[in-house]
Amino acid sequence: MTLSLPPDGPSSGSPSFRWCSFLVADRCFAIDAANVAEVLRATAVNRVPLAAPAIAGLLNLRGRIVPVIDMRLRLGFETAEVEQPRINLVIDLRGEWYSLLVDDLLDVVSFDPAAIEAPSGSRSGPALDAVVGLLSKPDGLVHFLDPERLLQSLIVTRVRGLSVG
Amino acid sequence: MADNDEFIGEFLIEAAENLDQLEQDLVALEADPRNPDRLASIFRTVHTIKGTCGFFGFTKLSTISHHGEHLLGRLRDGELVFNDALASLLLELVDAIRTVLAAIETAGGEGDDDFSGLCQRLDAAAAGVLSAAAEPIGEAAEAEAAGGAAAAEPVVEEPPEVADESVPGQPLEAAAATEPQPAVAASPRPAPATETPATSFGSPSPLSRSGPVLDPTIRVDVSLLDTIVDLVGELVLARNQLRTAAADDPTLVGAINRVHAVTGELQEAAMKTRMAPIDQLFSKFPRIVRDLANTCGRQVELHLDGADTELDRTLIEKIRDPLTHLIRNAIDHGIESADTRKAAGKPTCGRLSLRAFHESGQVTIEVEDDGGGIAVEAVRDKAILRGLVTAEDAATMSAERIFQFIFQPGFSTAQAITDISGRGVGMDVVRTNIESIGGTVDINSQPGVGTIVRVRVPLTLAIIPALVVTSGGERLAIPQPYVQELVALRAADGTHTIAGLAGAPVLRLRDRLIPVVFMDRWLGLREWTDRPTSGTVVIVKVDNHEFGLVVDAVTTTDGNRTTAGETTSLWIIVVKPIGGLLAPMGLYSGATVMGDGGVVLILDLRGLAMAADIPARASVTDQRPVLPEEDDQATTETARYLVCETHRGRRIAVPLEHVERLETFRHDQLNAAGDRQFVRRGSWLTRLIDPDVLRGAPTAPPAVPDGHLVGVILTADVGGDALSVSRIIDVDRAESPLQTGIGGRGLLGTLLVGGTATEVIDVPAAARWASHATAP
Repeated sequence: MTLSLPPDGPSSGSPSFRWCSFLVADRCFAIDAANVAEVLRATAVNRVPLAAPAIAGLLNLRGRIVPVIDMRLRLGFETAEVEQPRINLVIDLRGEWYSLLVDDLLDVVSFDPAAIEAPSGSRSGPALDAVVGLLSKPDGLVHFLDPERLLQSLIVTRVRGLSVG
Repeated sequence: MADNDEFIGEFLIEAAENLDQLEQDLVALEADPRNPDRLASIFRTVHTIKGTCGFFGFTKLSTISHHGEHLLGRLRDGELVFNDALASLLLELVDAIRTVLAAIETAGGEGDDDFSGLCQRLDAAAAGVLSAAAEPIGEAAEAEAAGGAAAAEPVVEEPPEVADESVPGQPLEAAAATEPQPAVAASPRPAPATETPATSFGSPSPLSRSGPVLDPTIRVDVSLLDTIVDLVGELVLARNQLRTAAADDPTLVGAINRVHAVTGELQEAAMKTRMAPIDQLFSKFPRIVRDLANTCGRQVELHLDGADTELDRTLIEKIRDPLTHLIRNAIDHGIESADTRKAAGKPTCGRLSLRAFHESGQVTIEVEDDGGGIAVEAVRDKAILRGLVTAEDAATMSAERIFQFIFQPGFSTAQAITDISGRGVGMDVVRTNIESIGGTVDINSQPGVGTIVRVRVPLTLAIIPALVVTSGGERLAIPQPYVQELVALRAADGTHTIAGLAGAPVLRLRDRLIPVVFMDRWLGLREWTDRPTSGTVVIVKVDNHEFGLVVDAVTTTDGNRTTAGETTSLWIIVVKPIGGLLAPMGLYSGATVMGDGGVVLILDLRGLAMAADIPARASVTDQRPVLPEEDDQATTETARYLVCETHRGRRIAVPLEHVERLETFRHDQLNAAGDRQFVRRGSWLTRLIDPDVLRGAPTAPPAVPDGHLVGVILTADVGGDALSVSRIIDVDRAESPLQTGIGGRGLLGTLLVGGTATEVIDVPAAARWASHATAP
């Protein structure tokens, strides 16, 4: 049951021009609003031992088990020095739910897709592989994220070398 | 148009069901060719298909069905007699219709295949001209004996416009005898056992319909049922929460108990909706067996038993392929050709039995054939040849364990690799598929007699009993079928301690040494340098490998309804999927939500054991002392010793290199011959050497307080005798160099083991002494 890039889903070349924007480490990111299922305050999560570090854990959303991804870690930033209340942005990807743990929620906005540029090679690194578009705005750069790519690199298939003590 | 799509969808579903029914009827008809009810039913089915597809404008389908209907009409009216060639032709018709239906389903159109050849042959058959010479099957007497039905029942003609309400999973007369064409079985066959399974819904049998009967079943979308089961799961969790929260409030207690009772029953009822009789699967097999038998040139009689056994519908799909493969194997490799069987004095018709039944919380399915069987020696030799096992290990394995090698990838003892199976790619896939749903499979066989393959699968995957443990601050769930027992880890009185062999901690449990894993370390939850001495060890068994999981504690239930009733540590949890992000890790098989709303991961012990190489560390079912793998840290050459207590209370150490295994004996298993003692093991006698006597104690037999003694069986290179001791204390490394010169006869010296100075037995000397000692 591995995630794979969809042939065409709501997140790729979507005709909907509404984007849900949010803050992670003082930078602005956005994903297709059609993917967003819910928004919650950060709640207690259960650790998943041996999972990728960016996977903060699992939360219980009205009986449904939802993995939580710490966006700071996933996008290559350090964890915040000061504990701050964070927001769970729950997205629906082909029927499965995942929660993106972000610093703060911004507005749902419409951006003209024609104005979005593809990221140049120099900007991207392994953590930013999910950034598929950039837009310059007066108050900063908006990074557009592809949720599939966001999750793909978190899948670990071989856990080796467990120490038995 | 959307509406039309919906109608076409329904048409496809119903047509598929009708075709299944048709196929079953055709195969059953071969055993009972004059059965009027079946002939009528077959005609009606094809007639219905013809009518409905005309309505949709599926002209090709309509044409094919029309030709089929024409032939069937003649059969129904008795103008033609059903025989083998007609059966094959009509089955070809079924396949043709299926092909067109598949095309409609995927592409919307009827496809480009040309069926005019088939139609011509159908017409020719209807005219009484058949391409292959064929004779009618069997005598009327045989037909009656085989039928167990219906000869007396009048044929019921129902108006053809009635949309046939074929109930899914309708049971049929189960036996189907098949023969290679066109020879007729000259000798009368014994009447096959006609176990007609009852349906769960009590639908009327097609053989004894005496009038229109109201169908007590309805058709429900499976996803709706799944939703209901999920909601009931939520209700169970909420009920648990209520129970905990309102335990103190007397006014609520009565109402809560009522909720508890009702929820329990609702849960059982909801689980039942997920269950379906295995007949869904079994009913497909008569045709498969018939076709396979024909292809392989065998005569096979199929017996189905327990088709009404129920299991989770998702599991039924998953065992379809493995069971089909097992059937192929049985027909292709198990059952011999008619000549071989005759020469062996067996009936020429081979017998293949499929049995399903409930047994201790699982569903067991047995596939048994009375074919040539598999020789254990052949499997063992092949396994040794392939390096899967050493000759010495293989010599001590039970037949059952040796047969398990058949499931190794690429293992095949088939002489000739045939097209159908025998390529050696099948059995490992069978085992993998069955294990992936939490089941097990094993083989037993006797050359010349036959083979039986036993598949066991859990009843359901959605709600399972589990142990909830805490480790390193986390809660984790262990599914109950893995759990063997719980052992408290106590350092003080030394009953259960973990011995230290670098890299492979072991626990001495009664007389076994079991490898142990510290859960907190294993999952990276906690770090420590000194091994914890308190906690609980959960002894689990995965694929016949036993090991212990050291956890902080086992959580007990409060107010949770337990099934076993004896233990309060068993939780009934609702399994929820963890999703595509975490499932590939292979460590967790799901998660559950506890009464307090917290999420608890369910461990996939097989995946964890593989990731930690647990099976490679020890094979303890043979009571062999643990010899750990070479690990990088321990490059020092300190030898390991088995520390024991003799019958007179002395502490001795035996170099582990000379120890073959440990066995416990009862006092009454000993035989004395002069001053020597022997113990009977299997079919030979092993000499017992008493280390105290070695040291000069009198040769009186030791007092055996509780009637038991432990035999340290020595390796073959030092004589294969056994040291007789009172109990095993530990397995440990030497902590000091050996000091010689202090000991006496039969001793190598003394060294520090386990913190105490201990005498070390000189095993070769002891063995030599034992062979030369004479009675005083």
